[in-house]
Amino acid sequence: MLRTIADLLRILNSGTEPGRISLAFCFAMVAGLTPLFSLHNLVVLLLVLLLRVNLSTFILGLGFFSGIAYLLDPLFHRVGLAVLTAGALEGLWTALYNMALLRLEKFNNSIVMGSLFFSLLIFAPLYLIANQMILRYRQHVLAWVQKSRIMQAFKASRLYRLYSTYSEFEGAK
Amino acid sequence: MKWVRWKGLIAFVAVLIIVTGVWFFVVDSAIEAVIEKTGTSMVGAKVELGGVDLSISPLGLSLTGLQVTNPDEPMTNAVQVDRIALSLEGARLLLRKVIVKEMTLEGVRLNTPRNKSGAIRRPSAATPAPQKKTADKKFALPSLEAPDAKEILKKEKLQSLDQITALQADLKTEKDQWRKRLADLPDKDKLAAYNKRIKKLKSAKKGGLKGILSGAKEISAIRKELRKDLDRIETARKELKKDLSSFRRRIDEVTKVPQSDIQRLKEKYALSPQGLTNVSRLVLGEKISTWADTALGWYERLRPVLERAKEQEKAHEVVKPVRGNGVNVRFKEHEPLPDFLIRITRVSMEMPAGSMKGRITNITPDQDILGVPLAYDFSGKNLKRLRSVKLDGVLDHVDQSGPKDTAHFEVKGYQIADFNMCDSPELPMVLKKATADFKADAALAGEALKANLWAGLRSVKISTGIKKDAGPLAKAMASSISDMNALNIKAAISGTLADYDIDLSSDLDRVLKDAVGKQAKAQAARFEKELKAAISEKVSGPLAELKASHGGLHAVGSELAGRLDLGSELLKGMEKKGPAGLKLPGILPKFQ
Repeated sequence: MLRTIADLLRILNSGTEPGRISLAFCFAMVAGLTPLFSLHNLVVLLLVLLLRVNLSTFILGLGFFSGIAYLLDPLFHRVGLAVLTAGALEGLWTALYNMALLRLEKFNNSIVMGSLFFSLLIFAPLYLIANQMILRYRQHVLAWVQKSRIMQAFKASRLYRLYSTYSEFEGAK
Repeated sequence: MKWVRWKGLIAFVAVLIIVTGVWFFVVDSAIEAVIEKTGTSMVGAKVELGGVDLSISPLGLSLTGLQVTNPDEPMTNAVQVDRIALSLEGARLLLRKVIVKEMTLEGVRLNTPRNKSGAIRRPSAATPAPQKKTADKKFALPSLEAPDAKEILKKEKLQSLDQITALQADLKTEKDQWRKRLADLPDKDKLAAYNKRIKKLKSAKKGGLKGILSGAKEISAIRKELRKDLDRIETARKELKKDLSSFRRRIDEVTKVPQSDIQRLKEKYALSPQGLTNVSRLVLGEKISTWADTALGWYERLRPVLERAKEQEKAHEVVKPVRGNGVNVRFKEHEPLPDFLIRITRVSMEMPAGSMKGRITNITPDQDILGVPLAYDFSGKNLKRLRSVKLDGVLDHVDQSGPKDTAHFEVKGYQIADFNMCDSPELPMVLKKATADFKADAALAGEALKANLWAGLRSVKISTGIKKDAGPLAKAMASSISDMNALNIKAAISGTLADYDIDLSSDLDRVLKDAVGKQAKAQAARFEKELKAAISEKVSGPLAELKASHGGLHAVGSELAGRLDLGSELLKGMEKKGPAGLKLPGILPKFQ
């Protein structure tokens, strides 16, 4: 737990552009809330690796959202079922249902549809909110955190040195 | 290009290659694990595979060393298959449809021994085998001892006693009602009051015409009142007469009920030649019932293969995925196909008697989508100790609201040797040898089960092996059974999967009936006599009370008759002369 908090602080305190952290967090939200082995998560993985988003944030976020996804499954089931059985969309779903690629995506499963619909719906708002929160954190809280004992101890650790090397490799700065 | 990380594309390709590589390494084990887990959960005992091999081109799957444990006997495999080869339609897999073009099962063997127990710890989710309702008694020789009639009457309820008690209660109520009615009707005091009024008129000294007319008027008024009262008494007397005759009839009927009690108890307890007809069920019922239970138990276990739960959600069909969460909503397909289908299965069975070949078409849990039922056909000829065997049928779940399954099984020229028919210590029976033909037809429509089995055994030799000190009945039966050279058995099963009845008959019934018929008749006569005496002893008291009670109702009749007589006498007196010697109009004949 402490290590996770330290990881999070480390990312927030680094000079990484807020947009890269927020976008990674949003991608993690999509991959974490929807069933992991879905076709669309391959696209998410491609985007995460291709775009300069913060990989550490993505990994941390993926763990976080995968954890809460189980709690939200009943909600996703209801949302997904409502979307899939909406009369106005029947033509669209029927057309997609007969496409091999989308059948592989298993979009007709209530939880896949519900979780994907939900995560795409909140993708943009979450990105903007996360961006704002990181900026405000850096303006108001960062200096205090840098001086805190936990951060001092973390900076002195081998893990931090490793991270610094990795960050240089990642080219995130 | 500030946002693009081209090295990431290389990393993505690398990840894909690694994942695909790992998939190729683990896919066989994964398939094996899925089959073993799903099979074990369905059967309720271990299902094991020796190996799995997935080939990409042509797309196919090969399974070796399949062992399906018999859940009732964990050290035995119900089925063992050396090799299963499946050829898949690859293009359909992209549409998440597992369509097997052909499945070949080679080296199928039944009831093979296992090295390790195949029992699983947790109780299986599989539906328990249906419970047999009949044939749960062990065979025992019928006793020729007459049952104790008095002991039987202690536990049996007599209908005659019940009816007598009910009639007594009715009679009591009726009597009470009549007592009340008698109190309401004009009694002797009231009639005597009329007499007083008449006498008073006579003694009145009223002279002249005026006095005579006034006396006549009063006497006419008294006569009218008296006549009205007598009418009421007469009506009551007629009603009582009806009641009396109704009760008389009921008492006559009740008097006959003890006879029907005797007949009923005699049929229930006495050994009658007719009562011996269930001997086939006692001897063979348990075995047939066990076979039926086993067959139906396997049918229940395999049912999920034939159909799965489907629901409707806003006019869309939704199905629970085989694994995973949520539900899958189905939309109209250009080419409707089930999610899982084995178009044709070829089976080659190896049995101790020889080999059998079979074919199963259209195995799918979505017959309603395919529109074609599952059909199976197995046959074997010139086997060891068996001329031919054939099993075919249809499992029709196309209309899931009314599934219809049928099976036809036929065996010809089966050489039976040393088959244990009955292991009762009183009359053990072993079928030493026989040549048998079997035929069975079974149909399951919804939950309604109907099956008919017929077995014809020729060149029969049955050994009875009774003890030397066995009774005369056992000896007579053993002798009759040993003389049999043919045996025909018929069984009819009806009911539901969970609760079915077996009606069984065979030549054994006739043989036993002939053997013990005379003894049974004599025993029944003795028992009837004792039963008659015991019932009469129990019923005679209450019956006498009932008759006495009926007599009590007659007393009401006598009372009414007495009042009528008294009133009639009074009217007669008034008829003879009026208070002043005037002749009055006659009204008497009505009450005479």
